[in-house]
Amino acid sequence: MNPEEGETVSTTNYEEIATLKDRVPVPVDSAELAMKAQDVSVWFGKRKILEGVYMDFPRNSCTALIGPSGCGKSTFIRTLNRLHELLPGAALAGSVLYEGTDIYDPEIDPVNIRLKIGMVFQKPNPFPSMTIRGNVLSGLKLSGMKRENHDQIVEETLTSVGLWNEVKDRLDHAGGELSGGQQQRLVIARSLAVQPHVLLMDEPCSALDPASTLKIEETIRELSRTVTIIIVTHNMQQAVRVSDYTAFFLAAENEPGHVVEQGQTTEIFSNPQDQRTLDYVNGRFG
Amino acid sequence: MSTVIFESASIEHLKDETPQRPWRKKPTKFTVSVFLAVVVPGVIVAWLFYSSMLPGAIIAVVIYLPLQLFAAGLAALINRGRRSIADSFIIVLSTGATVFTLVILISLIGSLVVRGFRALSPHFLYQNSVYINPSTPLEYGGIGHAMIGTLLILTIASLIAVPIGIATAVYITEVRGRAVAYVRFFVQSMSGVPSVVAGLFILTIAVSTGAFNQSAFAGGLAYAILMLPTVARTAEEVLKLVPEDLRTGALALGSTRARTVLMVVLPAARTGIITAILLGIARVIGETAPLLLAAGNNDGTVTNPFGQAVSSIPVYIFNNVALPYPDAVTRAWGSALVLMIFVAVLFTLARVLGRGKVGKY
Repeated sequence: MNPEEGETVSTTNYEEIATLKDRVPVPVDSAELAMKAQDVSVWFGKRKILEGVYMDFPRNSCTALIGPSGCGKSTFIRTLNRLHELLPGAALAGSVLYEGTDIYDPEIDPVNIRLKIGMVFQKPNPFPSMTIRGNVLSGLKLSGMKRENHDQIVEETLTSVGLWNEVKDRLDHAGGELSGGQQQRLVIARSLAVQPHVLLMDEPCSALDPASTLKIEETIRELSRTVTIIIVTHNMQQAVRVSDYTAFFLAAENEPGHVVEQGQTTEIFSNPQDQRTLDYVNGRFG
Repeated sequence: MSTVIFESASIEHLKDETPQRPWRKKPTKFTVSVFLAVVVPGVIVAWLFYSSMLPGAIIAVVIYLPLQLFAAGLAALINRGRRSIADSFIIVLSTGATVFTLVILISLIGSLVVRGFRALSPHFLYQNSVYINPSTPLEYGGIGHAMIGTLLILTIASLIAVPIGIATAVYITEVRGRAVAYVRFFVQSMSGVPSVVAGLFILTIAVSTGAFNQSAFAGGLAYAILMLPTVARTAEEVLKLVPEDLRTGALALGSTRARTVLMVVLPAARTGIITAILLGIARVIGETAPLLLAAGNNDGTVTNPFGQAVSSIPVYIFNNVALPYPDAVTRAWGSALVLMIFVAVLFTLARVLGRGKVGKY
């Protein structure tokens, strides 16, 4: 049995896990929002992937998107920093607000949006032509952002992803030399170095060992005091451990995905209103 | 969900301290039959070659190849059964094709060395041919002027064709503008342009109109026309191999597309880009016709790329190889040898310089 699917044990006490957290999230409707999705629908060519998503992302919180594969979670977060439009055949309806501004406004430069709204991908993608240090600082170079004290940035970001001790003696080695899990932590450090306001994470831990996963989760908890985090995960205990809010996506066969239920994480996991959510979080399908 | 628990005793038992390669051990039957399958056809063919009047090429293709295929197939059938016959055929045919290519390459280099080596000497590399006529003995004269000419022309051609070629590839794979299909079509058509046409084109539009003399620059323009499609097509293929993840990753860091291409995509494809440039140079380096038309000929050394006609190694070979003077012919072969060595040095250098070292940033 795959340890990633540990959540299929139906006796998991999510409330108990949730009590480990150090704060209680405020209800969404009274929070200040960093981002807001309004009636977002997504297509690839003629195929509709996602339908009518309304979602609020309170500032400095962590929102987990859960749901079975193929229900449009990854597609949805790619619409939040305008990476979706780079794929051939991509189309979109509805609007996405960042700090009250529609990011799809023709006046808006997507480059600035992506600088503020960073992203970590499922597969590690360090730049092969750069060293470990170069990879961490690549965002500054690529975006032309000025930040002092590069050595300090490298140490801080690598420490926060638990990689510093492993690589501090070989910062000038190629990023591609690292193992898969180390590469993933490296690219997370890379995305932190540009100090995004919102960080999108698309299953960032799916290639990591449990120790690294734990380290990343701590980092996410720590970061979400100052950064708005939106994370796609298949690991439900992870969703409970790191997120303040959760949205459950589902797609019926040959139909576009939609949000079945969303709200505070403790509510979604301990007291879901929809039978399908209850079944999913208890591992009865998906 | 059952858990398998290894007994430590059995692990101890499996441990073997000396490294071994058990997959290399073969049964005696296998070793003997493969040995026979290799040796027997060879002996038969060697005997035929020395005892019959048949020419070697006929023996190799009509007799040896089928015989070797049969022997290999038989050995495969005996050892591994019917399904491995195809394997043995593949081995015989691919080895045969490799050997065939190597034989051609070695005999080509061999004939260059045999016929041209006598011409090689230090002065052959740095003297020019100003006071040399076809009957002058080999102690005098050289191709220094032609080497300088070839270098000049190649440099000019590369300076023009490499940036445009890479820019074309970037347009096709990175910019992905509306005209991609047309650009690709025209580049493809361009690669079919015969070299003499490229020379004629430059002769007509630049030299005949009086815009330029026959010169290294005009020759470089003609070469650039020939290099461009090779560089562009190869660079395109190489850039396509750069994973899409890297581009998305860079864009997700707030990078512009220009910086993504310059700082992530092109560096990631660096060795491939160098290959593209080398293939472009290899495409043109021996082309004679365009230089005859656009660069002309000159017995003296010319270093000004614009002023006057300039010699080049291919044109030098062309002018000397058919003369009825043995020393002139030897010089031609010698300069062909120099050209080969020049290419070998250039390619080795580019490979060494382009080896995938990771930059500071």
